[in-house]
Amino acid sequence: MTDLRRNVPISPGAVRAAAGAVLELAGADAVEVVVTSSLIGLTRFARSRIIQNTVRNDVRAYVRVVDGDRVAVAATNQLGSDQMLRAGGRALEAARATPPDPDFPGLPSPSRVGQADGIFRWDETTAGASPARRAEAVQAILRASGSDNAAGVFETSAHCYSVINSLGVECFDAYTRCVTTCLVDDGAATGWGEASSHAIEAVDVERAARTAAGKASRGHDPVEAEPGTYEVILEPAASAMLMEYLSYMGMGAKQVVDGESFLASRSGERVASDEITVADDVFDDHSVGIGFDLEGVPKKAVTVIDHGRAVGPVTDLRTAPKLGLAPTGHYSGSSEFGPYASNVVLRPGDESPEELMAGVDDGFLITRFHYVNVLDRPSTLLTGMTRDGIFRIRGGEIAEPVNNFRFSQSVLEALGATSAVGNDATAFAPDYGSFGSNVAPSLRVGAFNFASTTTH
Amino acid sequence: MKDLLRAALDAATDAGAAYADARGAEIETESLSVRGPMVEGLDRSSSSGFGVRVLVDGAWGFASTATVTTEEAARVARLAVEVGRASAQVAIAPVELAPEPIHVDSWESPYDKDPFEVSVEDKVGVLTAATEEMAGVRDIRIARGTLDLLRQNTWFISSEGSDIHQRVLQTGAGIEAMAVDGNDVQVRSYPGSFRGHYANAGYELVEEMNLAAHAARTAEEAAALLRAPECPSTETTVVLDGHQVMLQVHESVGHPTELDRVLGMEAAFAGTSFVGIPDLGELRYGSDLVNITSDPTIAGGLGSFAYDDEGVEGQRVDLVKEGILVGFQSSRETAAAMGAERSNGTMRAEGWENFPLIRMANINLLPGEGSLEDLFADVDNGLFLSTNRSWSIDDKRKNFQFQCEVAWEIKKGKLGKMLKNPRYTGITPVFWASCDAIAGPEEWEMHGTPNCGKGQPGQTMRVGHGTSPARFRNVNTGVAQ
Repeated sequence: MTDLRRNVPISPGAVRAAAGAVLELAGADAVEVVVTSSLIGLTRFARSRIIQNTVRNDVRAYVRVVDGDRVAVAATNQLGSDQMLRAGGRALEAARATPPDPDFPGLPSPSRVGQADGIFRWDETTAGASPARRAEAVQAILRASGSDNAAGVFETSAHCYSVINSLGVECFDAYTRCVTTCLVDDGAATGWGEASSHAIEAVDVERAARTAAGKASRGHDPVEAEPGTYEVILEPAASAMLMEYLSYMGMGAKQVVDGESFLASRSGERVASDEITVADDVFDDHSVGIGFDLEGVPKKAVTVIDHGRAVGPVTDLRTAPKLGLAPTGHYSGSSEFGPYASNVVLRPGDESPEELMAGVDDGFLITRFHYVNVLDRPSTLLTGMTRDGIFRIRGGEIAEPVNNFRFSQSVLEALGATSAVGNDATAFAPDYGSFGSNVAPSLRVGAFNFASTTTH
Repeated sequence: MKDLLRAALDAATDAGAAYADARGAEIETESLSVRGPMVEGLDRSSSSGFGVRVLVDGAWGFASTATVTTEEAARVARLAVEVGRASAQVAIAPVELAPEPIHVDSWESPYDKDPFEVSVEDKVGVLTAATEEMAGVRDIRIARGTLDLLRQNTWFISSEGSDIHQRVLQTGAGIEAMAVDGNDVQVRSYPGSFRGHYANAGYELVEEMNLAAHAARTAEEAAALLRAPECPSTETTVVLDGHQVMLQVHESVGHPTELDRVLGMEAAFAGTSFVGIPDLGELRYGSDLVNITSDPTIAGGLGSFAYDDEGVEGQRVDLVKEGILVGFQSSRETAAAMGAERSNGTMRAEGWENFPLIRMANINLLPGEGSLEDLFADVDNGLFLSTNRSWSIDDKRKNFQFQCEVAWEIKKGKLGKMLKNPRYTGITPVFWASCDAIAGPEEWEMHGTPNCGKGQPGQTMRVGHGTSPARFRNVNTGVAQ
């Protein structure tokens, strides 16, 4: 096991002590305790100064209590014995007041699912980064940006996850993450750069800042381009966003059972080009996550789209039997939402970003998307805006900046129109929250639909 | 909690903070989801902790913890000061705060019936009475009912002398029917989408909704949408119901008038705004009919409170008056930055662990005249859109697109056939300028949206919007694909 030393938000021993207070709860048939803890230092800057600077330390214990085939959860952030027992009591009371749940699969046991190992994508320097260290990073970003109007974050965080149940499951994992983002607004245009890793030393803040400044300087005097369907290069931030939404819309087994997922009617069919392989793979070198799901089932790498063909969803103990599949260890913590693919990886190809662009005769380079939302799940139809760097490509080279577009586009149709995949796989923290990661390279997409334009 | 906060405040000022506030909270929630006859999830939670915010050398520092001990209070306060000192290394000008009177007060949101005292059996029964009826309708794949409760006690003290205790009880509930036919998935919900209707209220809110009475219609409309034609792509007159006007106000008026966005402080994440300080009193935001306020003083909204999370008294202020931009939502820092005499009190934080941000309170479109039917009466050929399903808007809050659950044709002032997948798009000031009718007080309702995201680390805020149905001319619907 990795030496977690002093900066771990909560130790395995403290987790065991908290869980031990309630695992043998009187009257319960089985008890599970999930403990999550985080220490997050986040420094926000805007207008080239620090505007918010926070350190947050929280812990949550989720006590799931089973009474026959009834189950309920009570959570607390106070891990003393009395509070843990009170949470267990509230959960038991709630479980007894609910109708039986014949689909409840029971809590896992080691003999049923095996014992999960942690991945420990952990960096002690990141976990122990001080406010001064984060401020130094922001200073470096601002210097490299050369701008008096840069905005973004520099964040270091440490996270622990543990599942212990009365049937013998006991697992613990921890990871760290460092994220930086930089937007440069030079008054005439904006540009964007970002970087993330589990280790602070691997995050090149100056490169992110220079990328943002370069895009801003190339974005002056944008022209208005006609909405329509165009060939595009999606840089990694843009393709990762599509992957995050593809997961949200339909990689989970419950969405398949309910008929909402593209996998419900197209499993085994071609849904993307040969170039596309998408997996949920926490073990990928770029991924940041944990080695088990939130009921302690070991996590498996699951290929969801294999060289263009829809293969299968991620599952959990409740949903796997409904589809005749094995559990893959993706319980999200919510039976209402179902299993979730939180470590999506779009496998990289062979072409460099320059080679991708060289193959575009007339199209657009897209840096990233903004405010994406779902229009239709089964067809994976999304809308959203481009922002912080969209450029016309002519003859394989950047020609001129253009005003931002609103897109209306099916993710699967974009993947179906993908002619090449970049070799620049890049990791991103999820758009909201801190659990999991998205890994994606650049894509060359033959047809991407822009529905309207805006004035900047 | 107050003794602990006092210890934190003392430690912060001893460590060199020129200003400090400490905010502690105890939060209790219950979330119930049923599907057909089954309970899909029953989660209860309790959380407590506190955060310390300081100004040191003219810069902000903040630290929070779930460990509620006096020793931890002092440690966290010193950490907040350390964070503030680090911030000061990258500062251009010191933060100044607009003055605010000292407040020593307590306040509680009103309610009739404590929902935490209602038995789980009764709550499950109320939901399953509706969901079982919906599940019996042909083509309904998911019949879901939800009920969400929150009780939050918040204590705020500041080094200026304010000492405020607020206690809020919020209740939300709703039902949703999802119909599936092959790849066609259609949804109807009541009384609103995304887990229903929320308010500062007790269990009486759930009883007033009478979910079971609306179950059959909700499910039948979802099923009927499977066979309805697509909403056409055209330019036409649209009438939006109050629920959709809520989202329209939220995205295209509420967010753009947050002063932190206007000043560029949210540029990297949520974006900025198409309006600027010089637009105040000058910019035509909408037609003469458009009057929009920020009003936490009104009872019952999710954004109803007496004081914000930096101890500023809640105030009703005009944002748009007779179509002209006349106000922003502000904090003490941003108010001072734009030269205002006082913040209008919109700083709020999710839970105890977060730094407060400018967040909408209740952003209300004031009512006009007449009924919903009166809005239809002046439409020869148009669309009536109901219940938000999806939303998106650009980083300056200008180019937007919304999707609703359902639309009906309006022909010669009367509702016609049902249409599915209705979407419309627009440019914010152009759209609001096309508003030619807003229904009257009899149609005006306070809606609540419990899932407004903003900030880094991300915070989810509960905000209110009082709206009536409204009519807009020359709107692009359908949207090219």
